[in-house]
Amino acid sequence: MSVVSAPPSRSALPRLALPRSARVLGLEFKRNAVPYVLPLLAAAFYFNTVRTADGYPPVWTLRASTVPNDMLFEFSVFAAGLAAWAGSREGRRKTVDLVATTPRAAWARLTVALAGTLCWLLLAFLAGVAVVYVQTALQATWGGPPLWPVFVGAAGVTVVTVIGFTAGVFFPGRFTAPLVAILVVVINQVGFREALNTTTGGGSSLLPSSPASAPYALLSPSTSSPLVDAGVYYHIAPDVAITQVMFMGGIAVAVFGVLGLAPELRDLASVFSRRPPRAVFARSDGWLLRAVTVILIACGVAASWTAFALAGTARLDAVTGEWEIPALHYGASDQPVPYAQDCTAGSAFQVCVHPAFGFYLSDLAAVLEPVGAEIAGLPGAPVRAEEVASVSGGLQVMSGTSGNPPVFQFTAEHVGNLFGEFHGYDPVAWREGFQQGLLNDFLGGQSLGSGPVPVPLDAAQQAVENGLLTAIGSPPSSTFGGMNMNGKVTTPQTAAEVSAATQRFATLSAGARHAWLASHLTALRAGTITVAQIP
Amino acid sequence: MTAASVLKPPAAPFGTAPRFPAGIRLVWLYLRTRRVPTGILALAGCGAVLGAALHWHWEFNSGPYAQQVPMIIEAGAAAVIAVTAQSPFGEAERATGRWLPYLRLLVAVALAGLAILALQLGAVGESLNDGVLVLARNVIGFTGLGLACSLVTGGLLAWTLPLGYMLFCQYALLELWRAPWAWPVRPPADRGAWICASAVFAAGLLLFTVRGPRTQLSDNG
Repeated sequence: MSVVSAPPSRSALPRLALPRSARVLGLEFKRNAVPYVLPLLAAAFYFNTVRTADGYPPVWTLRASTVPNDMLFEFSVFAAGLAAWAGSREGRRKTVDLVATTPRAAWARLTVALAGTLCWLLLAFLAGVAVVYVQTALQATWGGPPLWPVFVGAAGVTVVTVIGFTAGVFFPGRFTAPLVAILVVVINQVGFREALNTTTGGGSSLLPSSPASAPYALLSPSTSSPLVDAGVYYHIAPDVAITQVMFMGGIAVAVFGVLGLAPELRDLASVFSRRPPRAVFARSDGWLLRAVTVILIACGVAASWTAFALAGTARLDAVTGEWEIPALHYGASDQPVPYAQDCTAGSAFQVCVHPAFGFYLSDLAAVLEPVGAEIAGLPGAPVRAEEVASVSGGLQVMSGTSGNPPVFQFTAEHVGNLFGEFHGYDPVAWREGFQQGLLNDFLGGQSLGSGPVPVPLDAAQQAVENGLLTAIGSPPSSTFGGMNMNGKVTTPQTAAEVSAATQRFATLSAGARHAWLASHLTALRAGTITVAQIP
Repeated sequence: MTAASVLKPPAAPFGTAPRFPAGIRLVWLYLRTRRVPTGILALAGCGAVLGAALHWHWEFNSGPYAQQVPMIIEAGAAAVIAVTAQSPFGEAERATGRWLPYLRLLVAVALAGLAILALQLGAVGESLNDGVLVLARNVIGFTGLGLACSLVTGGLLAWTLPLGYMLFCQYALLELWRAPWAWPVRPPADRGAWICASAVFAAGLLLFTVRGPRTQLSDNG
């Protein structure tokens, strides 16, 4: 055997040749600081996002709102800080001059470090989205995962990472990472406050109202949670989401372009630099690279400016009550989403809900049927309860009883005098809320429609409602004492009288209650019955 | 040449004679190596941001949301203090003398006090929700977490734990949690919250004083 005939060693065998940039990216991926912070991020994600999502009913749009509202908040802190940490590496390690002699452009080197950090953060972000979405998929009874909140969240993580990285490159001090993280979160909170002003300006209204600084408020990815049935009866128009992605993407592209000029700008910014600007740019990485960076900056600024201008043209949709941007709006999205109601069968009092709320149907039927049986046969007593959209014609819908035969119609936001019943599933409060809601509308004579929240029941009506609730084994309403009723605050004496009348009425036989209601219901609704007149 | 001439210290070159006592010079060198002057500027910046947030109403006036922005800035100030823990000399510095733990202790306490002062100055003339007591409690609690974190991550990444805890407290704030260990969400005079925050600060400070931040051979600040 000669040297020539000897088989080549294993190391001499041709290896799977990865592109050089992919190998560098792999190294960056392997050495990145993000994995070390993932446990902390996971804990923040669990407490802030998962628990918040758990508190919402499993409706896709509502659960998905936690992605830009909650997830982006906690990811922003670590994305900005860790990106600044990665970006400041050369300056922190004092290797700027050393790596300046490498043949590749500084931008290519920095891009790889940025890409490694961004890949980790986006992977973690998408893993978090998967947790929220899988959990929702296991519980939801209708609909599918909305993607625009994910795009908005991913754009948010990207822009925060690019800003943090660039800050780290230009200011490679030890304080850069925490300060950038804090500033990013403060900006997030300022935007959140502006966005929240769009929903709190309308008093009791749950719909958005025109804010003073609409563009900034609409461009903030963090906002209040949507209506419980958002995206259920009408599609959510992606107008605002597109604008947000365009705005944040534009900033990211522009800042990334600035990163391409990092060596030159660092030289210019240096107080010790005595070179004139022309000399600084003459030693840079070539005209092609400079042209690309300038184009990127221009494109990014143009995209962000366009998004800002588009946000300024936003107006409230006349059909869905949500924000629409005329230049981006697709009229077909205003059409109602077809659906078939889920209804109970085989009981005298039928209950129907939208299939998105089908998971509540049996509970709801168990809650409403005893009340329905208690008032069955009385004038105006509903024979059926059904859920309707909480927004119609751009206005919020209040629950009420109407039609012939009468039907108790409620929304996911309003049940009787109460609102937000579907927002958190507290079994006890939820049961009481629906029973009170049905009786509120029945005794108060409220019919379905748009307008202000109905006035509370008077003392006699409240006593009768509490008596009926007590009779079916439910706790009476606890919201009466101290309530402002028709301009007067109820006194302890009135509350005691209501309580006594409640006890009297509840101890009557079912037949006696029914007979008294049949003869006095009209007067009770008119408010001419006093507490003392209740048997 | 005699032994006396060898033992006699050489004359200092002209212009380099020490102007300050050795103790002051030691403290100054310690502060410079930890970038404390820059840290003080950063704390002043935190105070300015808090003042701006209160002046231009970046936060809500009342309710659970009102504490959000101040808490973020307080965590930022604590993160700045934690980052000053980093030593550029690493292991070698620990063999230089017995004053290092005292310097760590004094500088950390002084910076926490300066942070409270800077933030309070930023809030002068404005309406700070829950007042200076909650501000001080948050700063010392977050600082304790940061100092403790520096033992594990080293000084440069010691900002991660205070900010992570701040994120958790944002949730606790909105959910109206009342556990004492969630001290940022408790009322100003709450004894349990003060005990927890002080205990965290004391534990973090003690560990940091005795052990110092984690160092690596590659530490170069």
